[in-house]
Amino acid sequence: MKGIPVRLQGLSKSFGKVVALKALDLDVRAGELVAFLGPSGCGKTTTLLMVAGIYMPTEGEIWFAERRVEHLHPRDRDVGMVFQSYALYPHLTLFDNIAFPLRLKKTAERETRQKVHQTAELLGIAHVIDRRPAAVSGGQQQRAALARALVKEPQVLLLDEPLSNLDAQIRIQARAEIRRLQQELGVTSILVTHDQAEALAMADRVAAFSVGELQQFASPDELYTRPANAFVAGFVGHPPMNLLKGTFEDGHFAANGVRLPLRTTATGAGILGVRPEDMRLGGELPARVLVVEPLGREALVTLDAGGVGVKVLIADDRRPAVGSNVGVGYDPDRLHLFNAEGRRL
Amino acid sequence: MPLFPPRWRLVAIGLALLSLPIAAGLIWLILSGLFDRVHGLLPIGSPTLQNWRFLWEGIGGRPPVYVPLLNTAVFAVLVAAVEVIIASMAAYAISRMSFPGRAAYLGLVLVLHAFPAVSLIIAIFYILRILGLFDTLIGVILVKASLELPLGIWLMKGFFDYLSWEMEMAALVDGMSRWTVFWRVAFPLVRPGLLALGTFALLSAWGEFILPFTLIVSSQRAMMATYLQSFLTEAFADYGVAAAVGLFYALPVLVLFILGQRYLLNIYGGGVKG
Amino acid sequence: MARSVAAAVPQQRAAGVGGLIARYGWPAVFLLPATALIFLFFLIPVVTTLYLSLTNISIITFRHPQWIGLANYRALLADPFLPKILINTARYVAFTLAFNVGMGLVLALLSTSIKQRYGDQIRALWLLPRILPPVVYVVIWQGLTREAPFGLISDITGVSGNWIFARPWAAIILANGLVGASFGMLIFTSAIRSIPNDLFYAAAVDGATAAQTVRRVVLPMLKWPIMFVTAYQTLSLLTSFEYILLLTDGGPGFYTTTVWSLHAYKLALSNYSGNVQFGLGAAMATFLVLIGIVVSVFYLRIFNYRALVAEPKVEVN
Repeated sequence: MKGIPVRLQGLSKSFGKVVALKALDLDVRAGELVAFLGPSGCGKTTTLLMVAGIYMPTEGEIWFAERRVEHLHPRDRDVGMVFQSYALYPHLTLFDNIAFPLRLKKTAERETRQKVHQTAELLGIAHVIDRRPAAVSGGQQQRAALARALVKEPQVLLLDEPLSNLDAQIRIQARAEIRRLQQELGVTSILVTHDQAEALAMADRVAAFSVGELQQFASPDELYTRPANAFVAGFVGHPPMNLLKGTFEDGHFAANGVRLPLRTTATGAGILGVRPEDMRLGGELPARVLVVEPLGREALVTLDAGGVGVKVLIADDRRPAVGSNVGVGYDPDRLHLFNAEGRRL
Repeated sequence: MPLFPPRWRLVAIGLALLSLPIAAGLIWLILSGLFDRVHGLLPIGSPTLQNWRFLWEGIGGRPPVYVPLLNTAVFAVLVAAVEVIIASMAAYAISRMSFPGRAAYLGLVLVLHAFPAVSLIIAIFYILRILGLFDTLIGVILVKASLELPLGIWLMKGFFDYLSWEMEMAALVDGMSRWTVFWRVAFPLVRPGLLALGTFALLSAWGEFILPFTLIVSSQRAMMATYLQSFLTEAFADYGVAAAVGLFYALPVLVLFILGQRYLLNIYGGGVKG
Repeated sequence: MARSVAAAVPQQRAAGVGGLIARYGWPAVFLLPATALIFLFFLIPVVTTLYLSLTNISIITFRHPQWIGLANYRALLADPFLPKILINTARYVAFTLAFNVGMGLVLALLSTSIKQRYGDQIRALWLLPRILPPVVYVVIWQGLTREAPFGLISDITGVSGNWIFARPWAAIILANGLVGASFGMLIFTSAIRSIPNDLFYAAAVDGATAAQTVRRVVLPMLKWPIMFVTAYQTLSLLTSFEYILLLTDGGPGFYTTTVWSLHAYKLALSNYSGNVQFGLGAAMATFLVLIGIVVSVFYLRIFNYRALVAEPKVEVN
């Protein structure tokens, strides 16, 4: 299986008066796994369904390598898709489910049998292949759905929240397995998810969406260390970045009467972002401890710094008492500055 | 099915053609009632009210039309009312109360629901004569309401099943008797079901023919169904008048149909589920 | 949540008659009217049909029927027209059933593959024969099948005549069919709508055309509804005769379109052969009643009703 590049050009979709996706330009490289990340209603699933051919774009073009496909029926696009609900045919065995696309193409039965068994082996479900979907576990159903998508050796693999219906334990495992499989096969893949950890862990590049618009399209590292705007900054990373609204003045940032010195020439209203893990206790800023949440390896401390709420991540063995007064510090090189509209400064 | 086949408009046209007979029938009824003569679906001459003279004169020795009209209206309304109240009460008991034989009672209702009630018409004729209820409006009302009960109970039980238990528990703890809980809490909350059942029973009773045909003889207690049928059994039936009477008789149904198409689809679709 | 409210109403735990009334008084009140009516007009008539079939009851002996055992049944079996009536019944049920289920399926499948707005309108139109009063429906049928120049069919085919009398079987099958098809149409539509959208999307991505999707995904999931509609309507057709009575009255010749249920009705309740043979009619009806009971109970087993009978969460009445 070799992947092909996918290009979205000026793609937009409206349902009546509701605009689900504003003009989108995006290039997926051959063999790459791109994650569409964002909260519900942000347009990521709508875009995925347009690439699959289930939705018709209102405007724009979709290219699979040199082929223009946005007007083609899903049947003619040669894509494989894994649905959030798995969409396995309940009246067929897993074998028949996986064989379905091949049988529709009138593939010879012997070849069908061989390919299905091969794919089932690859996904570790060969031993339950004769059961119906209702008789296997959620994890096995998911792998069957994946097998069905891969058995026809598609040019593009689409995944719509494939992990969200799995138990938390299995999810981590499945994450790695899907990624490994995708890299081995080299098939171009687009994964839709609302889980930023999933996107960062699996994808070569992440496209962050909000309210129908692409916010940033870059590697996971880039999204994490240099978010393009306040939305991406607050969405990517867990626990979420502290975002403080205030005013930039010469040499510092003022919010609620608190002044934070920092190196900047910016002026005017804006947003200051600093990740909980880039802050520490024992700094110069006075604050009072409100909540301490032990997280095992670390602890998340919520503080009131002169009327401004911040969260700080610390090593778990140094938990402060609730109500105590501590000092809070931050790493001045790890600050993120945004203007009043949220754009990175 | 969420994805339409590429030439779905052709399918739509095909379906429309398939449905032409029904449309033709409706058009024929309206035109024949309003015009002197109709050839096929082409009206001849000018519109006339001659066909509607049954409204002000008794044709061929029949009673004036307001007699069967009134009887049918009373019949339909009372059947619907009796049906709604009695079925809800029974359905509430089955759905929300605990008593021995509950499962058996529900089983009985389900069996009766599938049972073809019309096969009992001969015995019912006999029973009504014995009870002295033959040729009475009360008799037919009771019979019709009874034969619709299994469907009504099953339908209302479905609605009662959806109510939250916590609410009834709270009402009981507050001190309400079971009747009060039913009348003031549960009954009002199943209003969509009551409306659906009432509409269903009303329509069914309004069109009922076999029961008045079999169980009523005197013309004073005739219903619109038997009144209209008497026009058809004549040697040279006057189709203009028959169509006008038919249009008149079916008017409430047609009005309901035009105004509440989607509603009717819902209740007929929901009420006949397995 | 299985909180019982028994503690709030202590007198229900009392023993004896007082306790029984306190515990089951209300259910009895709620169930009384329905039970009385069901008893009077369902259960008693079932027994009465059987009883009457074993007597010589007729218009003469109405008040004082005498027991004659199985004489009616023997007379029935000896009736020379019985084979014709049996064949008529089989023919009527088989063809109308095929039309009902087939057309219902076609209507459901086609009307769900077009825009919902148009699909709704088509389904509503097919609902019309069902909700129209039967007598009006028959007036329309007669009006359209009249002789030329009035009847539409006569005009279109160029052959003038009473088309109901010319083709009585086509008439009763189609007339009942146009009414009956809407039953299956509604049930199948509901079943099709309950198939999750994702399955259709998956089939499209897998490469299925609309026809392939219907054949491999939709129809297998309609197996139970089809069985249900077939079973339900078979019983219904065996016992219904209203439209046949109004359209052809069992004619146009001698017993041309007379089916079992219609013959039973006429024997008992109309001046057929000069004498009203009530008992004989009851004997024929008994067969229908017995078949009805057996099949209805059969439904109960197949379409498992246990699930509908979850115990109530309030144990106190």
